[in-house]
Amino acid sequence: MARAAVVGAGMTKFGVHDKPLQELFAEAALTALEDAGVAPPEIEAFYFGNAMGGQTENDTHLGPKLATHVGMAGIPVQRFEDACATSSNAFKNAVEAVEGGHHDVVLVGGVERCTPKTGKDTAEMTRIFGSASHRQYEQPTGLTFPGVFALFTKRHMHEHGTTERHLAEVAVKNHGNGSLNEKAHFGKSTSVEEVLDSPVVADPFRLMDCCPFSDGASAVVVVSDDLADSYDAAVDVAGVGHGTDIVPLADKETPHVTIAARNAASEAYEQADTTADAIDFAEVHDCFTGAEVLASEALGLVADGEGGPAAADGTTARDGEIPINASGGLKAKGHPIGATGTGQIVELTQQIRGDAGTHQLDGVERGAAHNLGGDAATTIVTVMEGR
Amino acid sequence: MMSDGLTHGEWSEAVADGELLGQRCPDCGAVQGAPKAACPHCGSTALETVALPTEGAVYTETTINVPPAGVEERGYQVVVVQLGDARVMGRLRGDAVGIGDRVALSDSITDEDGYVAPVFEAV
Repeated sequence: MARAAVVGAGMTKFGVHDKPLQELFAEAALTALEDAGVAPPEIEAFYFGNAMGGQTENDTHLGPKLATHVGMAGIPVQRFEDACATSSNAFKNAVEAVEGGHHDVVLVGGVERCTPKTGKDTAEMTRIFGSASHRQYEQPTGLTFPGVFALFTKRHMHEHGTTERHLAEVAVKNHGNGSLNEKAHFGKSTSVEEVLDSPVVADPFRLMDCCPFSDGASAVVVVSDDLADSYDAAVDVAGVGHGTDIVPLADKETPHVTIAARNAASEAYEQADTTADAIDFAEVHDCFTGAEVLASEALGLVADGEGGPAAADGTTARDGEIPINASGGLKAKGHPIGATGTGQIVELTQQIRGDAGTHQLDGVERGAAHNLGGDAATTIVTVMEGR
Repeated sequence: MMSDGLTHGEWSEAVADGELLGQRCPDCGAVQGAPKAACPHCGSTALETVALPTEGAVYTETTINVPPAGVEERGYQVVVVQLGDARVMGRLRGDAVGIGDRVALSDSITDEDGYVAPVFEAV
């Protein structure tokens, strides 16, 4: 028996959207509802993610605002904030709610606007993203989020011999994948040389190792296992694991191991009665190229130390042994913070249904999504399967 | 038994005075560089404040070229330093360092809200 099922999925293109949050969200939510064949009044509760609307556009208490905008005023709405893992946490709580019998049909989604074109400039956004690092013991050093993952990746390079070229190969792979995805922020392929020639943001990361600031929204309709068969194209949620770790990062036992991801993956695999070997494809949180290396190892999709070489030798390519980020990932599909987690769930749903269009993978039945927040101190891993 | 209650204020004063305070857990032995109300490993609230060594080896580092708003410099190095059983994050001043290089606490900096960070230099 599945924990829950996704019966409708929708997302906007990730990129630049010059429209208010409720209008951006409605585009994803109404698509998800239509996909499920569900009218707004049939939704019993709304689980919503937005990480930083208060800081970026002085817009808070968004739950009822968005519910009102899409015809769902009056139902229970809860908003989640867990940095970049925001809407995955909303999803986890929605799954628990339908599994526990509190609700039968719920909407989960996220929205965020992060692009300098529609909001604040790069320096201000870098500061706002940095608010997820420890206010007293990290931020005063001038640490940024590229810096956080650079600290992890440098140590990984030191211990495992991962190279800047390996990191560049991750960017090349994900840009290539993104060029096939019409919803991706970046539609252009790149080369190792182009990545290695781009300016350094926080070494070892260059501009082309970093995901963009994106605007976007994503949403899914989640129903209980009992009801799933009454919908046309249900995809099972077989497991959702949720791990956390110590903050600040200097106090983590072995920071680059990302133990929260390992714990979340074990929990999700156990619930799904599966193992890493049986996962056909994965969407992982590649906010930086090094983060994909750490995540693919933490999920057990490749051996420790092999995340970089796996990108370079094609193991994680869309036609490789274990395709990682066939959507383009955060790196190329984009990263509208609060929309990223449910965006991965949309991708898993469409790939498993065989609905992913121009970037469809061949014969995938079981996928994993890995969405982290902050310095990976929150990580949620979801396993989905064909019903 | 309750922790002797190392606060952020006391930690900050110590940094400004050229000292680094951490916490040792008497129950599981873990040592932390940032003050907490309980041990993150075992939950013990009996944490003891300890003076950390002010010299150690760089555990990891990065040089930040795109700073957040409010930071005027570019190309500054942020380091995580292994100090005995604890690690502490700080800013590096002077010659660039790599993983394994020895550094020592040399100063502190204060951000726009008055929060301090340790500054290390190569030794």
